Amino acid sequence: MADKRRSGVSTVMSDSKATTKAETDQEFLSQAGVGVLLRGALLKLVEARSEDPIGFLAEHFSNIASETENGPVGGSDGEHHSNVLEQQQLSRALWHIGLAHHSHRSAFNSNTRVAYDLLMQSGSRRHVAGGVKGRVYTELLRGLCSEGGLSVTASAPLLLRIRCHDHEAVPFELFRQGVLTCAVFADYIRKSQCLYAAVSSCPERAADRSLCQAVLGTLQEALETTSPWSDVARYLEASMKISPGKLAQAMAEAQGPDGGGMGPTMDAQEFEDSAAKLFLTRVRIVS
Amino acid sequence: MNSDRFALSFDDYLAEKNVLLYLNDAVTQLLEHKEEYTQFGVVRYFAEYFNSVKNGNHVLFREFNYIKASPHNRASFIRIFWRCFRQIGKNGDLLAAMEYSSLLQLLCPDFPTEMVQNAARIVLIDDALDSMMSFSDFLYSFQIQFYFEEFLESVSVIYQDLLSGKSPNTVIVPTSSSVEQLNSVAEDETKAQEAVESAIFAECIEALCERLKHNHPSPSTVREILANSQRVSFYGFLMAMTKSEEINQDIGALPNKSELLIDPEMDLELERLIAQISVSPTSNSSGSTTGLKELPKKASPRKSLHHRKRIEMESDGSTEETDSSEN
Repeated sequence: MADKRRSGVSTVMSDSKATTKAETDQEFLSQAGVGVLLRGALLKLVEARSEDPIGFLAEHFSNIASETENGPVGGSDGEHHSNVLEQQQLSRALWHIGLAHHSHRSAFNSNTRVAYDLLMQSGSRRHVAGGVKGRVYTELLRGLCSEGGLSVTASAPLLLRIRCHDHEAVPFELFRQGVLTCAVFADYIRKSQCLYAAVSSCPERAADRSLCQAVLGTLQEALETTSPWSDVARYLEASMKISPGKLAQAMAEAQGPDGGGMGPTMDAQEFEDSAAKLFLTRVRIVS
Repeated sequence: MNSDRFALSFDDYLAEKNVLLYLNDAVTQLLEHKEEYTQFGVVRYFAEYFNSVKNGNHVLFREFNYIKASPHNRASFIRIFWRCFRQIGKNGDLLAAMEYSSLLQLLCPDFPTEMVQNAARIVLIDDALDSMMSFSDFLYSFQIQFYFEEFLESVSVIYQDLLSGKSPNTVIVPTSSSVEQLNSVAEDETKAQEAVESAIFAECIEALCERLKHNHPSPSTVREILANSQRVSFYGFLMAMTKSEEINQDIGALPNKSELLIDPEMDLELERLIAQISVSPTSNSSGSTTGLKELPKKASPRKSLHHRKRIEMESDGSTEETDSSEN
C-alpha cells in the first residue's frame, strides 16, 4: 500500500512543492502531532532496544494506528465484530508483554500493566467490574505459552493450574503473576532442553538414563530449597546446589566407575516432562 | 539473545541500525506528499512506511541516493531487481550492460550507468565490455559492486598500490618492514603478470576491513578466497567474491545460484496472463485487473512492473536498438 502510494515519488521531485514554506511544514507537523508521535516511538525504542528497530517501529505504529482507527468501539456490530476486536486486543497485549524480558522486572511489570489496561477495555460495555475477564486472561496465557515456544501438551498442565473461570474477574496482581509464571515457565522449559542437550553427548543418541536422573535430582533439590531466613538466602543456596560443580559431581556418581556403557536411555521428551513436573508441583492452583 | 546493543549508547544504537535515516526520510516524504499520505492518518502512514522498510519494498522507484543509503536499502534493491527481472534469466536471454542499465532505471530512474559498467567489468574481467551477459552472472556481480561499492573502491586503490610496487597506504597497513620487503620481492613479477601476492593483499584488505567497520565482507571469507591461490588479480578477486556463497548469504538478498530462477508463483501468474491474452487479445487491460482481484495480496507496483517488463521483453526480440534508447 505504501509502495503504491510512493510510486510517483522519485520522478516528481520537489519542484512543484518548492513553494512550500518551512513554517507551514512546521505547522503541519505540529498540527498532525508528528513530533509527539515520533517522540513516543523513540521512547519505546529506548526501553526495548529491539534487535530489529525497524520491525519494532512498524509494529508500534501499526498498533497505535489500529487502536485509534478502532477507537473506543463497543460490541455494537454484533458478536463477530467483538470477537475480532478481542483477538486484536489480545495480540496487542501479547506484543506489549513481549517487549521486555521478565528478568528486566520493572519494565516487564509496567508492560504487563499496559496490557492489563488494554484488556480491561475489551468487551467494552459488558465488561466485568473489578478486572479482566477470566476467559480473556486464560486466552492470553495460552497465547504467551505458544509464543514462548511451548507445545500445547507442554503448556496444558500449567494452564490448568493457573487459569481462571470464564466468568471470573481477574485482579491485576493475579494477572501479573499468571503472566510472569508463563514467561518463566517457557524460559525454564527452554533451559531444560539445553540441559538435556548437554547431558546427551551426541545429538543423535538418547542420553543415558542414570545421568538424566542425576541431573533431574539435582534440579529438584535446588528447587525444593527452603530457608528459614530469607528469600535471598534461599536463592543463594539454591544456586549453589545447581552449580556446575555439584552437577558434575552428581553425574560422576551416577556414571559409576565403569565409565558408563550402553545402559538404558531417556529421550528428550521424557526429560522435558520430568523437568516440567518439578516446576509444576511448585505452582499453586488458582481456582 | 544478543545483549551487545544494550552496551551501546542510545545514539550509537540508533546509528548502527540507521533508525534516524528512516525517520528522517519518513518525515521528508510525508511533507512532500502531505495531501496524498495523510488521508488515512499520519500514524497509519508511519506504520505503512516502516512496514515497507521491513519488507524491503521501500526502495522501489526511489532516488539513487536513498537506495544506497543503508546496507538494508542496498540489499532490498538487489532483491527487488532480482524478483522483477528473473524471468529474463529464465528465458536464458543474454543482455548487454546498457540493457541491464535500462532495466535498473525502470526501478530507479537516476541509477548511474557507471555502477552497471563496473559490475559488467567483473563479469567480463575488464575486457570486451559490450559483450552480452547472462542474468545470473550479471546479478551476482552487480550485487557485489553495488553492496560493497566503497569497499571495492578502497580495494582497487590497494591493489593499484601493490601493483605499482608502492607500499600500500601506510594508514591502512601500519605494520612492518616485512610487508615492504615482500613487496619489493613481488614488485618485479607483478607488472608482468598483472597480479599481486595473495598473502599481502589479504593482509591489506583485513586492515581495510578494520578501518571500514561496516559494509565489508567478513575478513575470514576474504582470507579463504585469497588462500586459494598464490597470486591474484583484482578482477580475479572480485569474481571469486561473486561466487562466494558465504558472502551471498551474509548480504541475504539473493538465494544461491541453483534456486535463483525458481519462481512457481510468477510462472503460474504468467501462464494465466498469457492464457487471458490469447483468449481475448483486445481486452488486455481488463485481463490484468481480474488478475489483480484474484491475487489481492500482491503489491501492485510489482504487477505493473511485470507488465512493463513484458513489453520490454517483447520489443527486445524485434528492435533491440529502440529498446535500449527508450529507457
